[in-house]
Formats: sequence, C-alpha cells, structure tokens
Amino acid sequence: MNMCVGISGKVVKASGDTVVIDVSGATRQVSADLLSDLEPGDYVMVHAGVAIAKITDTDAHEASQVLAAEQMQSAAEPELAAVV
Amino acid sequence: MSDAQLSAKQIIQGYDGPRLRIMEVCGTHTHEIFRLGIRSLLPDSIELISGPGCPVCVTPVGFIDEAIMLALEHGVTICTFGDLIRVPGTEMSLAGARSQGAKVRTVYSPLDTLELAEQNPDEHFVFLAVGFETTVPAACLTVKKAKAAGLDNVSILCANKTMPNAYAALKGSADAFLYPGHVNAIAGNATCRDLAEKEGVSGVVCGFTADEILTALAVCIQLLQEGKPFFRNCYPRVVTDEGNKNAQALIAEVMEPCDSEWRGLGMIPGSGLTLNSAYDHFDARKRFQLPKVEGRSNPHCRCGDVLQGKIKPSDCKLFGTACNPQHPVGACMVSGEGACSAYYQYSR
Repeated sequence: MNMCVGISGKVVKASGDTVVIDVSGATRQVSADLLSDLEPGDYVMVHAGVAIAKITDTDAHEASQVLAAEQMQSAAEPELAAVV
Repeated sequence: MSDAQLSAKQIIQGYDGPRLRIMEVCGTHTHEIFRLGIRSLLPDSIELISGPGCPVCVTPVGFIDEAIMLALEHGVTICTFGDLIRVPGTEMSLAGARSQGAKVRTVYSPLDTLELAEQNPDEHFVFLAVGFETTVPAACLTVKKAKAAGLDNVSILCANKTMPNAYAALKGSADAFLYPGHVNAIAGNATCRDLAEKEGVSGVVCGFTADEILTALAVCIQLLQEGKPFFRNCYPRVVTDEGNKNAQALIAEVMEPCDSEWRGLGMIPGSGLTLNSAYDHFDARKRFQLPKVEGRSNPHCRCGDVLQGKIKPSDCKLFGTACNPQHPVGACMVSGEGACSAYYQYSR
C-alpha cells in the first residue's frame, strides 16, 4: 500500500488507545492515540495505521457548502479568510 | 454528477482569462486528478503542475544508501513502507540489497515495527521514517511506545520533512498551490494563512475525492481572478484551523527541527525533523554510528526539475524509455505518488 493514502473508516469498536474501523466491510485495528473520546459510529481518517482526524462520513455536502460560502464571502468581503 | 461537481465544473470550464499555473503539491492529488479525468476538463489556459509533495520522491539517494548500509553491514532488519523498496540508491535499491541477503520487511504502519521487535528480541529493527506532517506522528508514537515498553531493539532512520519552508522555497513556481489536505489535518491552517498574508503565496486546502478536487480548483480559479493573495480551506470535513493538537504536542515532545536535503530542491533550512536528545537512543544513525553518506543519482535523471514544477515528466529524455515503472531510474517513477509514475500510467 502507498504510504500517503489516507483511509476513512467507521469506528466499530473502541478500547483504550486503539479502535477497530470498518472500511467497506474490511476491519482493521488502528491507533487512536491522537484522538480523544472516539466512540463506535464515529468516522475517522487514518494514515499509516494512526487515526489522525475525526471526519464526517461522506463529502456529499462539503463541496456545495464550500462553494456557497465562497460565493457569499466574495459578495460580502473579498478579503483573506477561510471559508470555515 | 452532483450539483456541486456541476457548479465547480462550470467555473473551471468557463474560465477564459490569462494563463494560470496551479501546483498540486501532493502526489496523491497528481494521481487522483489524472485518474478522475479532471485534466480533460481544463481549458488550455489552466496548467496543473506537479510539486514536491511525494515524500518518497524528495528523499535523497543517500538515505537509501544509509538504509542499505544498516541492513548489509550492521545486519539490522529494515522495516519500511512499500514505496521505498525499489527507489534506486547509489549502487542499488533496497530490493537489490534484499537479493544480496538484506532483511527488508514492508509494514503498513511504523507501529508494526514494535510487534516485530517484541516477537524477535535477538534482532534489531530499523523503521525508515520518511514522510511529512501526516506520517510523522506515527513515527513519533513508535519510538515513544518503544521507550515506554523498554524495547531496546528498535530504532528509526529519520528523513521526515515538514512543508512550510518548502512552500516558501517554491514561491513563484505557481500562481497558487493545492495544499495537501492531510498535512493540514495535522498541522492546521496557520502556516498557509500566513503564507498568503505575509508572503503573498496563494493556495487552497484540497481533499481527495472528485467533488473536493473540483471544488478546490474552482475556488482557486475564482480567487486568482481577483488578483489578491488568498487562502481557503476547501476540505473542512477533515481539516480544522487548529489541526490535531495531540499530534502537534507529540511531535514537539519527540522530535526537533533540523535542516533537510530535498531531492531537487537541495538543502532547505529547518525543513526536517530529527529525534531530540530524549530519544537519541532510538536514532539509528547515532546507534550504529553511520558515516556521512553522499548519494549519487543518475546524472540524466531529471526528477529534481519535475519536483520543482520546472518540467513535465515527459520532458525528461529517460521518461518511458530507460525509466519506466518496471525499471525506474528516478524516485518519481517508483512511488505510487510520483509525478512520473502518474504521467506514465495515465497520459502516454
């Protein structure tokens, strides 16, 4: 596997400093050392066996929200700022 | 196609302004943009160029030589991400060294090294720690857990790098950067925002799905037309402004900045990470007293120019002939994230 590919998965079991994630039906134990309070049902991004970020389950609404925020921001104040 | 994709696609395809150069810093972006056919949507006036965000590609030849020295002369077992195994060193790759008896194991995570060390107490395991902010925490966790467990047969050969000073070094290479989303997931957005506000370097944080890449490109194109430096986070479902504080604290506890050599970019001050004095014992260079190693790459290989966005892979005379995925001459053809590999796979 390529070292840079991030894998997103759903937490199905949390125990101490590890969690088991489900990735399209395949499960794998990964480190949860970098994230606090992970619970079954959470979604995480995993790199090199370590969960690095809690995320939403899909990108379904992200793109439209980013574009909408950008259009609003451009209209209101075209200055330096993040859209979120 | 989603509404968002349609909207972003309209912005991209409808662009009719002056020539724009946008650098996808991350090798995964390069591959996904090819794989998803996004290049075919771009008008001629928008050029995507590949940057130095493939950690395997920017790791200097001398690092491979060091790893081979550890394996063949010191008898350690090398644990590595699979990407590194076929990267040419001065004389041979790790795959070549394995054929001469070197013990080289592919691991998914640096943490796998700990299990191997526990199961084989008479063997020493060295993890090859390459990668940017995204993978640095895994290497830090490995040595921290090794120390806590009293494991004496583990160390790392460190060539980890950080992106901020590389962005600054690349200033002027492109009109805007697509920043690697997972680097910012760890490091946060402050550096990229500062680059826009203080250095005039523009960019957007970009995710990895079709929607996310199209959105980031569309936002980039819109803002470039306004003519002011900008920063936007177009990957908010994963990247927060503050990043991962636990990861940042871990890195600060275990490592410290150092100057680092980047293939193609040369030595960039403060762009590397090395274990700090509290974790000296886990530094393979010190543990095995490695001499200074100066690697030599093939003089005809132009990976360095590719990594700076100066040329396209197809401009290198070795591309697709002497250098191909079966017989790679440069690292950019080996790695699954390398620009030459992407061009070979998708655009010949």
